[in-house]
Amino acid sequence: MLNNILKLVKKEVQLEWRQKTALGTIFIYVLGTAFLIYLIFQGNITIPTWIALFWIIALFTTVNAVSKSFIKDANEQFYYLRSIATPLEIIFSKIIYNALLITILALVIYAVMVLFFNENISDKGLFLLTILLGSIGFSNLFTLLSAITARTQNFVLLAILGFPIILPLLLLIVKMSELSNFAIQDKDIYMNLGAIGLLDVITLILSVVLFPYIWRD
Amino acid sequence: MKNWWKYLCVLLLFYTVIMGFSGPIPELNILEQSIRNLYFHVPMWFAMMILMFISMVYSIFYLSKQRIDHDIKASAFAKVGFLFGILGIITGSVWARATWGAWWVFEEVKLNGAGAALLVYAAYFILRGSFEDEEKKARFAAVYSIFAFVMFMVLINVIPRISNSSLHPGNGGNPGFNSYDLDSNLRMVFYPAVIGWILLSVWITTLIIRIEKVYRKKHGLDLE
Repeated sequence: MLNNILKLVKKEVQLEWRQKTALGTIFIYVLGTAFLIYLIFQGNITIPTWIALFWIIALFTTVNAVSKSFIKDANEQFYYLRSIATPLEIIFSKIIYNALLITILALVIYAVMVLFFNENISDKGLFLLTILLGSIGFSNLFTLLSAITARTQNFVLLAILGFPIILPLLLLIVKMSELSNFAIQDKDIYMNLGAIGLLDVITLILSVVLFPYIWRD
Repeated sequence: MKNWWKYLCVLLLFYTVIMGFSGPIPELNILEQSIRNLYFHVPMWFAMMILMFISMVYSIFYLSKQRIDHDIKASAFAKVGFLFGILGIITGSVWARATWGAWWVFEEVKLNGAGAALLVYAAYFILRGSFEDEEKKARFAAVYSIFAFVMFMVLINVIPRISNSSLHPGNGGNPGFNSYDLDSNLRMVFYPAVIGWILLSVWITTLIIRIEKVYRKKHGLDLE
């Protein structure tokens, strides 16, 4: 099973790499949004605004990047995939791949935001950990939801379904980002990290348990 | 007597309204007479939570048995739960105006949680409307509904406790309602009110389920 999951992840990476336009689209999207915000704010923003903008860009980029993760496998590929892999292997491979993709995108956004705005988050290690945990949570949720919305013709649906459901996680991540800049006591940091980790685990379990019901035709 | 719980519901709600508006209340600063909203605002949320829980249970039944009547029930309970959520927001808004001085307080985590919870379920109805195929609609809606309920619980139970900055009683260092209710006068009305409103919400749901079933029968659709 582990072997199959790795192969499927490799397949996703190869497919993505082959379609460089799709990858390019996302990067230009990130760059464009950040530049737009830079022009609107004229470079002067405080740390809370910086954090809020960072996660908003990350959220919208995630929706755009993840929304196509099951559309590629429509029609013929869908039946082929079903015949060679179990639903569990599929969902794990998609979640791992999307988590990787979102983490990389978030790091790119981080780099672009630093380029345009300079940032002064004091504990960079903690912020990177927040990015990683947040990306995993985003991936757990949006991978399952994109599997649902891929079957409809409604393309706004992923955002409509995803935004309210991601809210608890997003609130915790923003809080955590602020704590990584300035925390009064370590207790708050551990409590928030624990809550984010717990949500990651809950969403992962739900996605994995529910995915087989979506995957049948 | 098959429908004893409907008579009980009417009885309890009459008791709630009469005692709620004219019964004895403790003397309180700021809250004053608005404490009577306790019998209306709080039970709305209890009813919503219970209906959403039942909706999730029927969604799980649907996924395991694939009977369309489970889907009809899951959707009907979610609809009425949504209605009670809106009623909870309206009654809460009136109360907030009277005690906190504003219809809506933006820093208040419970209000934001409630608003987000309503959005989650609004998305559920939009998802249902996006499918033509009945079996797919039921299956995907059931999956989303389970997800939605878990996140709903996180939103209204976990986040307010972590952020610890709510204006609501019993949160963020504010005293809970039991500290106001020293002579149990509030409790005497509050518990019957909770049961009464929950029974009413279930009653409304059973009517919606019946209407849906009649509609399906008339159009020759499956009921199993």
